[in-house]
Amino acid sequence: MAPLLALWLAVCLSGTWAVDRGNFKTCEQSAFCKRQRALKPGESPYRALLETMELTNTRLTLQLINDNNKVRLLLELYRLQGNITRVKINELKPLKPRYEVPDVLIREPTTEPLSVLSQDENGVVLSLGVESQRVIISARPFRLDIMEGSDVLMSLNSRGLLAFEHLRMRKDTFSYKVTSTVASVWDNIKRATKEEEEKVEEGMWEETFKSHTDSKPNGPSAISLDFSLPGVEHVYGIPEHADTLRLKTTDNGDPYRLYNLDVFQYELYNPMALYGAVPVMLAHNAQRTTGIFWFNAAETWVDISSNTAGKTVFGKMLDYVQGSSETPQTDVRWISESGIIDVFIMLGPTPKDVFSQYASLTGTQSFPPLASLGYHQCRWNYNDQEDVKSVDAGFDEHDIPYDFIWLDIEHTDGKRYFTWDPHKFANPKEMLQGLMDKKRKMVAIVDPHIKVDSNYKIHNEIRSRGFYVKNKDGGDYEGWCWPGSAGYPDFTRADMRAWWASMFAYDQYEGAMENMYTWNDMNEPSVFNGPEVTMHKDAVHGAWEHRDIHNLYGFYVQMATAEGLIQRSGGVERPFVLTRAFFAGSQRLGAVWTGDNAAEWDHLKVSIPMCLSLGLVGISFCGADIGGFFKSPSTELLVRWYQAGAYQPFFRAHAHLDTPRREPWLFGPENTALIREAVRQRYTLLPYWYQLFYRAYLTGEPVMRHGLKWLSVPLMVNFPSGRDLLVHPVTEEGARGVTAYLPGKDEVWFDVHTFQKHNGAQNLYIPVTMSSIPVFQRGGSIIPRKLRVRRSSTCMEHDPYTLYVALNLQRTAEGELYIDDGHTFNYEKKEFIYRRLSFANNALSSVNLASDAQFTTESWIERIIMLGASKPSKVTLRTADGQESQLEFDFDASMSVLTVRKPGMNAGADWTVTFQ
Amino acid sequence: MFDCNCGCISGPSALRKVGVCFYFVTDKRFYRERRSFLCIDGSRMIPFEQVNDDYCDCEDGSDEPGTSACPRGRFYCTNLGFRPHYIPSSRVNDGICDCCDASDEYNSHAHCQNTCWNLGQRERAYVEGQMRTLDEGLRLKQQLIEEGVLLWREKQAQLRELQQVAEDLQVKLEEHRRRKHEADRLKEQTLKALEAGNGGKGHALFSLSHLKPFAHFTKLLQFVDIGNCWCYRTTFISFQLELALLDRGHRMDLTKFQRTLWDVLTRGDTVKVRFHLCFCFLFVIFKKPKKLAIDYGTDWEFLFLNGQCYKLKVYEYTYTLCPFNQVTQRSTAGAEVSLGMWGMWTGKPKNHYSHMVYENGEPCWQGGSRSTTVTLTCGTETALRSVKEPSKCQYIMDFQTPVACQPVLKQQGIHSEL
Repeated sequence: MAPLLALWLAVCLSGTWAVDRGNFKTCEQSAFCKRQRALKPGESPYRALLETMELTNTRLTLQLINDNNKVRLLLELYRLQGNITRVKINELKPLKPRYEVPDVLIREPTTEPLSVLSQDENGVVLSLGVESQRVIISARPFRLDIMEGSDVLMSLNSRGLLAFEHLRMRKDTFSYKVTSTVASVWDNIKRATKEEEEKVEEGMWEETFKSHTDSKPNGPSAISLDFSLPGVEHVYGIPEHADTLRLKTTDNGDPYRLYNLDVFQYELYNPMALYGAVPVMLAHNAQRTTGIFWFNAAETWVDISSNTAGKTVFGKMLDYVQGSSETPQTDVRWISESGIIDVFIMLGPTPKDVFSQYASLTGTQSFPPLASLGYHQCRWNYNDQEDVKSVDAGFDEHDIPYDFIWLDIEHTDGKRYFTWDPHKFANPKEMLQGLMDKKRKMVAIVDPHIKVDSNYKIHNEIRSRGFYVKNKDGGDYEGWCWPGSAGYPDFTRADMRAWWASMFAYDQYEGAMENMYTWNDMNEPSVFNGPEVTMHKDAVHGAWEHRDIHNLYGFYVQMATAEGLIQRSGGVERPFVLTRAFFAGSQRLGAVWTGDNAAEWDHLKVSIPMCLSLGLVGISFCGADIGGFFKSPSTELLVRWYQAGAYQPFFRAHAHLDTPRREPWLFGPENTALIREAVRQRYTLLPYWYQLFYRAYLTGEPVMRHGLKWLSVPLMVNFPSGRDLLVHPVTEEGARGVTAYLPGKDEVWFDVHTFQKHNGAQNLYIPVTMSSIPVFQRGGSIIPRKLRVRRSSTCMEHDPYTLYVALNLQRTAEGELYIDDGHTFNYEKKEFIYRRLSFANNALSSVNLASDAQFTTESWIERIIMLGASKPSKVTLRTADGQESQLEFDFDASMSVLTVRKPGMNAGADWTVTFQ
Repeated sequence: MFDCNCGCISGPSALRKVGVCFYFVTDKRFYRERRSFLCIDGSRMIPFEQVNDDYCDCEDGSDEPGTSACPRGRFYCTNLGFRPHYIPSSRVNDGICDCCDASDEYNSHAHCQNTCWNLGQRERAYVEGQMRTLDEGLRLKQQLIEEGVLLWREKQAQLRELQQVAEDLQVKLEEHRRRKHEADRLKEQTLKALEAGNGGKGHALFSLSHLKPFAHFTKLLQFVDIGNCWCYRTTFISFQLELALLDRGHRMDLTKFQRTLWDVLTRGDTVKVRFHLCFCFLFVIFKKPKKLAIDYGTDWEFLFLNGQCYKLKVYEYTYTLCPFNQVTQRSTAGAEVSLGMWGMWTGKPKNHYSHMVYENGEPCWQGGSRSTTVTLTCGTETALRSVKEPSKCQYIMDFQTPVACQPVLKQQGIHSEL
């Protein structure tokens, strides 16, 4: 513990509350980034050897040559189903295989035919099949242009920044000497001519950062490629960064970095790497949305530049008035340390198309258990069983619902995961049973660092099976983390993951019960004494270096854990696993959170673009620690954070060990009431959240989105949960009002609290008090709610629904209702109710959207609230069997709100309610 | 029908079937069966059939005393044999047994047992036990108060003595000061006169010889001066030192400090020693009344806790509470950490002596310092019952003692519903 403490003290006593930037590399300090970034555009040495082109029905291959060093590359081009083009570039004959990312794609993508339209000595034109899309391959220098009609959608290597550092022999090794002595004189002469390119630069064969040396046994292996996006002003995505939704240009600073790191007290609004990495970027303008999925798990840097960047609004207007010929263009450049170039170009054209294209590659959001959409109460740490019991009782006493209480690392026996502190948690089953009696659940942390201790079963098993990651010398890799000296299981191994999963079985994980779920923290992996607080890049995972797989480690940890939770129930129950580190595809495995934020207003603000960014790249189940992890929030900040968090997908309060307690009832009755109200609003909307997640699972569309006009809306804090609710949480200290942009020229919006109607396409000033959470329902939508908020979501299972029907200008509305058992995989066996609710021609009806699905519910329709309605003379319910009955109703003329009293039909049935 | 203090009214058949009682007897008048029902807040009139029909009509929830329909509603658990109470309507038929008579789960999957009688038994036994404790506690408290008064008188007498000594010393000190001042003045006058007469040459020689008759006195005054300075400094230093040592949890005994000082001083000039001692003594005396200034309760009932320490082992730590002095924590590894020095009473005005706070313990590495809040509860023994650290560096203790027993509790107990 002592060295750990010393480290903590060293970090924490450094005086400021910001990240110690010196602990993390800049591009300049990362040898490959520095090398690659030094390349000048317009000097591409690569030439396509058209005579080597081979075209089968679905695959085109072509060799590229670097005219400086004569190293040949192999280009592969595929047309994939759903308007995706895949471009792969590898060495034609690498010294040894280069890493290609496994396990992330859900299946080998389905290819579609390609055909040559024309060809000459300068290039080839290929047809991409549909929509007059073509790919033009230019030979000298090599360049790829993807066209639709006469428009260029995207160009590759148009700036000539393609770079591929081929694997080479180390010059001081024995094998190199042998090769060079037997080499012919002619070879030597030839080599001399190209030697200049191969000169050894500093950092190619060894690199030192702070006290850590990376031995780089394979030498330089970086790759890089540039993409030009004509007509595009802004790009989005590539999480995780604590930055605005719209990515900034990087000309005057570091590129955005993707390298999973445990960043202590991260700073906002900069391109530094954080805990997770999804190498997916979206480009969007009014006409088209496209995406680039850079399929590489090594350390990656992304440069963005734009020809409109720096222009003021006035400048842009001037261009417009003067009819400036310059179209906006964004140029992007990806640089990775190792692996191959493997890019999926998703051609849209709509945002929805890009979401489904990306989902077809890496899968959709896992469908979470309903309870996990409720409120989560976490703290580092709830000290003992008594503490858990009293916090649980506190929620009942103050009538605040919650579903999960969490245990951080202190619950274990000396940071040995899968165990319990023998004194403080002597009887975990009793504790879990107590929660189960109230239909509540628990999450206990399991981190991937394993205490090196020969009395610890988990360690012994991993060691004896040889499952630990190895250091460069072949021994088990050891680093410092919470338990002190720790080993790191090699989660890239399928056999290791299977073993890990088996540890969650009830007979292995002592004290666990079915209402206990798991949280994977520190899985970047965090190594306190490692370079940049993570694993040495020359650590070894079987045939690969840690360098190759780094950004995948956390993904694999969550994968193995989720598998464990599935297996322990015999494949019946849905898992719930929260992870801090993630990669492309992590959406299939559970929830993520934005890591160790701080109790500051700016951290509250940034949680919104951070989760929106994650949603764009498929990871919908996102949230930030409510209240802020480090430091102690003011009461106002805490309340505002609850109000914002209640409308973000993952809704969990968390706090650092050193902060004072902040359970919702500790700030006086007034604030308790405010927090209670925010949590209750969340619970009334659970049916809607659940249905949104079902849709995200079906389609890959994000749950939390940014405006109906989507990304072109320039506001940052304005986010709707789904497309029917627009939320503008108050994120300013002492705010007296907020200005929310209500999008849509032909839309109307209803304040969900007052039912006041507002027109779209306006900036609406909303006066606020401490109790205000500005939320608007889109006219034209139907949102189901459960208004009987109970102790936990499970307690509300059989409760009736209230339908909120908000009419648009055409006096129509549509919505969906999804119901299932809330926790098993039986929905995969079509055991659910999925209905379309629609209002048109003065009739509201419920029709089955999944006629082959079967499920029964006790829930019924308790109430219909119609916003923007006119007063009917009578309201008639017709059920499936043709029976008609009159319904009572109440009409509020001042707000045009019609309330239909107790229609009473079953939520799973066909029915029509007519308004005459 | 149930034999209870409430009536059962019309409602959905499910409710009638099980004969649930929905309202407390005092509310009965609102639910008299008529044609219509007026929401208790007067906001709305509804047909009586809509009472308990599982749909919320009244803003105040008064039309659904027996169902979960109203967000603001409440349900009355009759709990015959135990204590009746209200629960939020949201707990009706939620599958969790809340009322011990199982009345809240009349239409759910939960299989609730009527446990009221057992609970009542247990509660009655508990209350009886509490009453006995209270009686015994109050008796013990009276004893302690009497002892406290005696002790207080004794201390007061001591204090008066000490104060007298202090006053005498103060007078002496003033006298010395005055004389030193006089001497200084004289010295300055002499030097000025000398300077005026001699151009500075042979100044040292002359001045020395000239001052010889005054030498002894000057020396003495110098000591006074030094002594004075020293004493102020030691006062200051000892104060600082004490604080610093306390902060580290190694509180040095004041007497030990004085002994050390004594050792230092006895090696010096006797006069010097005398002055040092006098001033340091002064310091000690001036400090003493502060200790007696602590609020030991209206009847001095808490005075007996002064100088006592109470220990409790929790997991790997041993906690020590020395009332009106300090709180410490010692780990099995041996390091002792201060969790705070006596601060003040922090109970609410009604019960001022129910909580005490110890502040400024060992600093925490994220800022602030450790502190402990002690809750005093009535018991027949004086002992530390529990220690918790709900937040880092913030400790709460449950401390049981007869002196915390309040006659008012007894009255409440007597008037209990049971």
